[in-house]
Amino acid sequence: MSPTEDVDAYVLKLRRQVRAAEVQLRDLRRQLVQAEKQADEARNLNKNHDRGLPFAQQSKRLAVLRNIGQEQGYEGHTNGTEDRSQYARSKRRWPLRKEEYKRYGRQLIMPEIGLEGQLRLRSCSVLVVGVGGLGCPAALYLAGAGVSTIGLVDGDTVEESNLHRQILHSTEKIGMSKVDSAVEQLRSLNPLVNYVSYREHLTPQIALQMFDRYDLVLDCTDHPTSRYLISDTCVLLQKPLVSASALRTEGQLMVLNNPSRAAGDVTGGPCYRCVFPRPPPAESVTSCGEGGILGPVVGIMGVLQALEAIKIIVAGISNPFDADGNIDISTVGREEASNASAPRQESPSLLLFSAYTSPPFRSVRLRSRRKDCVACSASATITRASLTSGSLDYAQFCGFVNPVSVLEKDSRISANDYDAQQFMLEWFRQTRGSEVYGPMTDTIIDVREKVQFDLCHFDRAINVPRSEILADDEPLRRALEELPARRQITVVCRLGNDSQLAVRKIRELRRRGGAIGSAETDDSLVMDIEGGLRAWTRNVDPEFPEY
Amino acid sequence: MQHLAQTTSEKELTSSSPAPMPGTMSSARAPPGHFTVLYFASASSYVKKTSETFEAPLPAAKLFDVLEKKYPGMKEKVLSSCALTVNLDYIDLEEDSGEGQLVLQPGDEVGVIPPVSSG
Repeated sequence: MSPTEDVDAYVLKLRRQVRAAEVQLRDLRRQLVQAEKQADEARNLNKNHDRGLPFAQQSKRLAVLRNIGQEQGYEGHTNGTEDRSQYARSKRRWPLRKEEYKRYGRQLIMPEIGLEGQLRLRSCSVLVVGVGGLGCPAALYLAGAGVSTIGLVDGDTVEESNLHRQILHSTEKIGMSKVDSAVEQLRSLNPLVNYVSYREHLTPQIALQMFDRYDLVLDCTDHPTSRYLISDTCVLLQKPLVSASALRTEGQLMVLNNPSRAAGDVTGGPCYRCVFPRPPPAESVTSCGEGGILGPVVGIMGVLQALEAIKIIVAGISNPFDADGNIDISTVGREEASNASAPRQESPSLLLFSAYTSPPFRSVRLRSRRKDCVACSASATITRASLTSGSLDYAQFCGFVNPVSVLEKDSRISANDYDAQQFMLEWFRQTRGSEVYGPMTDTIIDVREKVQFDLCHFDRAINVPRSEILADDEPLRRALEELPARRQITVVCRLGNDSQLAVRKIRELRRRGGAIGSAETDDSLVMDIEGGLRAWTRNVDPEFPEY
Repeated sequence: MQHLAQTTSEKELTSSSPAPMPGTMSSARAPPGHFTVLYFASASSYVKKTSETFEAPLPAAKLFDVLEKKYPGMKEKVLSSCALTVNLDYIDLEEDSGEGQLVLQPGDEVGVIPPVSSG
C-alpha cells in the first residue's frame, strides 16, 4: 500500500472507532437516566413513609420495584451483556415474534400493510376449497403472507397431468392426497401458519360446519355445482368469498359477498347467483381435462385470488354479527377502527382475463345484490336447513345426469372385444378376400375435438367433433349419408362418455330417415367403445397415447 | 401482443386506430353506426369469434333475438346463462329497473360473458 492509502485507511479506522464510541456513550447516557429515575422513585417511596423505613425493608422495596420494572420489560442494567441487546424488551413488549419481523419484513414496511395489516393477517383464517390449478398458487401466497390458518379442501389425489399447472405438487407425490401434498409444501415454505386438512369433496351436508370457523373463503373448484354451493354457504354464514375460474386461455375473478351481510341486507355484496343466476347447460360444461388449460392462465387467476384475499384481510373483515345474528362483543369497535384505516370500498367487479386478446385484462362493474336473488335477497329461499337436509340438489340444479350410464350394456363393446373383432375381420380379409371383409368393416367415428384427434387416432377413424355435433346435425348427417346401408358404426372418444351421447344422436338421425340411407334403423348397428381410448391403451395397446 | 382479427366491417376502419373509447374494453372502434359485441369463453367457442359488430341503434332486449337468428340455438345453449355488460357495466335485461328499455347506441360495447366453472 502507498503512504497515502495507509493514512486514509487509518482515518477510516479512527472514524469508525469514534462512531462506535459515540453509540456506546449514548447507551451509557440512557442507562444513567434510567438509574437516576429508579433512584428518584426509591427516594420518593422512602420519603412517603413516615419516619422512613429500616434499611432491610427498603432494599425489599427496591427489589419489588425492580420486579415491576422487569415485568414491564425493563431489564435494567444488571444483566451485564455488552451490546444493545441489554435493552431488548421482553417478548410481550413487541406484537410480533422476532422471526415474523424477518419473514414478513418486505410486506411489513409497505404503508398498505404495516404492523396493523400484518396483525390482521395473523389473526385471520382462510379456507381454500380445491387444491388444483387455482388453489395451489393461492394457498402458496397466502401461506407466504402469514395468515393464521389455512384450511385446504380436496378429495383428489395428485395425477401426472396435474403437474404442468398445480405447482404445489411434484412428481414424487403422484398418488398422494392433494391436500397432504399441499400441506407438506406449504409447511416448508412457512411453518408459522396453521394448516388444516380436509381430504374430502365438499358436500352440502358438511359445508356449513366446515366454513364456520374461517373468516374468508376462496373458491378454487372446477365445477358449477360447487360454485353455487360455496356461494350459498358464504351468504348463510356471512363470509366474504373470492371466486376465480379458468379454462383454456381465459379466466374470471370476482370478490363476492363483500361486505358480507345477511340475506335481505341490500348493503351486502352480490353473491354468485346475483351474477350468474342460471347455471350453464350441462353439456356445455367443460373441464380442464376436456378443454385444456394453459398453466400460467390458471396460475394468474390463483395468484390474483390470494391478492384479493390479502387486500380484504388487511382492510379489516369487520363483521360484528356472529352466525346467529348476535353481536359478537369482541368485534365491537373494530368496525369503526377498521373503516377509519381502510381505503374507500370499491364497487364489486368481475375481472376477465384473456391470454390472446388485447388488452388481456378487462374489468366489468357488477351491481349490488339482485332484488330477487334466491340466496341473498329479502325473498331468499335458501336456508341452512336446505343445505344440511340435502334437499338442495346442486347437481340437479346444474342439470347433471350421471353421464356414464346413458347407453344400455349391449350397445357398448369393450376395448378387448373390439380388438378381437378387428383381429377376426383382418383374418377374414386375408383368407377370404374383400367380398366377405368389405361388408363387415365398420366405420369408426371419433368424436373428440380435432386437436385431440390429431394427437392420435385409429387409422380408419373419421373425425366428427362433439362440439360440431352439439351445434348442428349437418356434419354427422353428411358422414352418415356416405355409408352403405347396414354398415356397422363404432363410435369412440377419450373416456367413453361423449361417445354414448353420439351413439344416441346417430340412432336418432337414422330413425328420422330421409336422406340418410335406407330405412335401416337397426340400433344394434351403432355401438361405442366402453371406456373409450383410455380403455384401449390400458387393455389392448399400451403404446397408444393416453393423455 | 397480437390483436385479434375482427369482422368484415373492420375494413371500414381507418388504418390508424384512435385511442380506445372510454367505457370500452377493446382497442378498436366499431365502424360508424355500429356497436360491438365481445364474446367470451363458451360464447366465443360457439360463434367461433371473439367479437363482432352490429347495426345500432338496437334495443338491448332484442339483442338475444338478433344473435339467435344469426347463430341458431345460441339462446338455449349459451345466452341463457350469460352475464351481459354494456360499456363495462353489468346489466340485467329482466329487472324492471328500466334496463329492459336500454337501447344500444353506436360505439357501445356489449360483453357476452358465460360463467366459467373450471379451475
